[in-house]
Amino acid sequence: MTPGQQNVLETQHITKRFGHLVANDDISILLKKGEILAILGENGAGKTTLMNILFGLYRPTSGSIKLQGVDVNFRSPREAIAAGLGMVHQHFMLVPPLTVTQNIILGQEPVKNGHILYDKAKKEVQELSRRFGLEIDPDAPVMDLPVGLQQRVEILKALYRKASVLILDEPTAVLSPREVEELFEVLKKLAANGTSIIIITHKLEEALSIANRVYVLRRGKLVAEMDATRATPQELANQMVGRPVVLSVEKPTPTSRDTAPILKLEKLCVRSQRGLPALVNVDLSVHRGEILGIAGVEGNGQDELCKAVIGLCGIESGSIRYKDKDISHWNSRRRIEAGVGYIPEDRHTSGLVLPFTLSENLILGKSDRPPLCRHGILNKREIDSNATKLMQQYDVRAERPSTTVSTLSGGNQQKVVVAREFSRNPDFLLISQPTRGLDVGAIEYIYKKINELKVQGVGILLISMELEEIFAIADRIAVLHKGEVVFESLAQATSQTEVGEYMFRGKLARRAQ
Amino acid sequence: MIVLHVLALLLAVAGSVLYLASYFEGGLLLIGALVLEGFAQRKKLGKAAFTQQVKGLAQKSLVPVVGIVVALVIGAIIMALTGYDPVKAYEALFYGGLIKNWHVTVLNAVPLIFTGLAITFAFQGGLFNIGAEGQYYIGVIVSTWLGLTLSPSLPSWFGIVLIYLAAMLAGALLNVIPALLKVNTGAHEVVTTMMLAYTVRTLSPLFIRAFGGDPKTSSHPLATDAIKDRFWLPLFQSILPEAIYRLHIGILLAIVAAFVTRYILRSTNLGYKIRALGYNPKAARTYGIPVGWMTTTALLISGALAAMAGATQVLGLDHRMFQDLNAGYGWNGISIALLAQNNPVAIIFTALLWGALDAGGQYMARVTHTPNAIIEIIKGIILFLLLSESLYEQLKKHGFWKRWGRRRASRKQKEVAA
Repeated sequence: MTPGQQNVLETQHITKRFGHLVANDDISILLKKGEILAILGENGAGKTTLMNILFGLYRPTSGSIKLQGVDVNFRSPREAIAAGLGMVHQHFMLVPPLTVTQNIILGQEPVKNGHILYDKAKKEVQELSRRFGLEIDPDAPVMDLPVGLQQRVEILKALYRKASVLILDEPTAVLSPREVEELFEVLKKLAANGTSIIIITHKLEEALSIANRVYVLRRGKLVAEMDATRATPQELANQMVGRPVVLSVEKPTPTSRDTAPILKLEKLCVRSQRGLPALVNVDLSVHRGEILGIAGVEGNGQDELCKAVIGLCGIESGSIRYKDKDISHWNSRRRIEAGVGYIPEDRHTSGLVLPFTLSENLILGKSDRPPLCRHGILNKREIDSNATKLMQQYDVRAERPSTTVSTLSGGNQQKVVVAREFSRNPDFLLISQPTRGLDVGAIEYIYKKINELKVQGVGILLISMELEEIFAIADRIAVLHKGEVVFESLAQATSQTEVGEYMFRGKLARRAQ
Repeated sequence: MIVLHVLALLLAVAGSVLYLASYFEGGLLLIGALVLEGFAQRKKLGKAAFTQQVKGLAQKSLVPVVGIVVALVIGAIIMALTGYDPVKAYEALFYGGLIKNWHVTVLNAVPLIFTGLAITFAFQGGLFNIGAEGQYYIGVIVSTWLGLTLSPSLPSWFGIVLIYLAAMLAGALLNVIPALLKVNTGAHEVVTTMMLAYTVRTLSPLFIRAFGGDPKTSSHPLATDAIKDRFWLPLFQSILPEAIYRLHIGILLAIVAAFVTRYILRSTNLGYKIRALGYNPKAARTYGIPVGWMTTTALLISGALAAMAGATQVLGLDHRMFQDLNAGYGWNGISIALLAQNNPVAIIFTALLWGALDAGGQYMARVTHTPNAIIEIIKGIILFLLLSESLYEQLKKHGFWKRWGRRRASRKQKEVAA
């Protein structure tokens, strides 16, 4: 799989300004035939802007683009597609009820006398999937496919349009580790067949494991170009952030484990919304001053575990004990008042009220408490000073407490959630995916804050799909597989390989050993 | 500090009363109040923040103002094309709506303010109380009924307060049904409140027949008897003799209601929770806001506000219930609320605008024989232009204006070159 010498795509001194903001500053990149290129950068480094320029969504302020050695000037994605560019967006552009074939041919249907030739289309799709080794059922409705296969449909869509350059925007953000592996296999095959590929990502390890070359963007500037075989993660991380980064945070030792657990799940069974068993006989306990990390592939009962612990769904059997009280039938309000804090997986849909101001978001779930509120009347001054205090304490970068939260960056939004939940003075904290979509600097900060709370004696339940995260901060690790706890161990007594084995194979892994 | 605010408020109230009572010098007091309040705000916020706030306000009102102007221009084009004189028609429209019949404008606006507030209150909680018309009707029915049957020995003010409370209660109770259906079964309030609106309307002839005059003279009365005059809302004329005789104090009640609504939504815990629910129900539920209870409360308060419109109309203006009460205040309240972008205080102004268009339109039709329908067209265009605000955003985002400018520039260059 050595890339050829022929230049397929080239940008020369691309600059894009939005008003005063320079999103791309003099960027020149080069893509060779059959090469996999990674464009790496933190959120807001200008990766997406660059791709949108390549794809004809934006026009560059200055600079030019060369495709197959010819100057091109796309005015719309349609022109870019016609010229052989294919884009797989982070959020798929598929019509869920239509079949794979229908989705692939959408907008390019083979037509005769006003009728779509479905049989011909299906054959073409089958032929395409055979040629590139992308196995798929052409008649399956897209909504019935798992995310990994939906992404495959997107790739096929681009190939159907004869794409010679494939651009993937954060392709692994929604995939499970197994699906990531499969995707990488596919991409390598495509590259071997002569397709050139650009991957936009903020995940170092991925960039290193799939790409031939890596470009690093920082604040709109191209700061490094590296050969993936020679670069190290530490080197890349430093380039991305612009200063040396501590990738592993110091893990304080947990305080005493002799005390009774603060949260104890006993034989907990929960059904999913569709009525299927989602948690089966789960026994877990969290002590004060420790972090219990729940590892597992997405969709193995994590959602239901969150909902059950915070009180957003009913349980089928078993019990949830908190501070030695059975709270199984308490609603979320009562649990929060009893000292439970919650950082949900998705800050946009559950963690924040985006059109609210910082002040308003920072009192969510505590607006009943004096001095913030007396006799049902909110005390604006207290609420604003609460916000000012927390903004300082948690390094939330925003102009004023009255700034709308939707205008903040992802990292700052997450800091708002963290600030609110930590300042509740919780005794127990449920944290789900606290660093999803954040850049290295913000991740480092949030780990530090979580550890501070742990040292203060808070019991923490951390749910994460990312093994690195679990190993970075958890003291004990449990693996959730098909709704069951299949493995539990102290963090220092196990390894990422062992936990990974349990994540994918469940109980089978135990027998194998 | 607080002295300035109180002074501004007093000036504003005095100014409005005088103005409504046809002492137009009151307008000067109103302007004075505005300046005073601005001064107080500037002192409170500091110069930079104050300028920014004023700028923000100007920016917010830019789109509505442009929308209205464009709608008037399009209206003029339509008139010209259909053979009417737009200059004369607009002259009559403005003269009628703002000068000659300005009291009609105010009278039109009163119920619209209440129904607009009703829609807004529910909307802040993410609920679309599209059936405010029904709650308006129930307000009319209850206040007519009490106005006819309450003992005349009651003190006048007590009777009025009692009637208002009863009407509000009835409006709220009417919304208990959609609220329960929504909370327990998820039935959408748009459907249920609208159905109820038609139900109540269909029931109203029965009510009129029960209280409609002497059965010997008419078996199909078109209106109930007039309510006892001791329960009528006071007229401005009774305090200030020069006032126009039909103008009642309902407009003051409506303005107070707007500020109270704003206060509830912005400064109380209840309002905070309702808005959190409206913006993001999932986050609200996650952090322990009682979703069912807040939904119910928002719908009940919304119903009570809409019923206040009915009560004010009966006690202040009609003094009876008409059968062909085809006022549509509930439906128009939706337009008013949308136009005001769900800002309770802005509703006062959008309701006055709607009222002025109606009052001026009637005058225009009478004097220049331009059909009144043109006013409905203008209203429709205003709404269309404002609701397509996202259209402007899209155009801006895709650099449409810039590109257009560039294209013109390049065309000019070519012309020059040629």
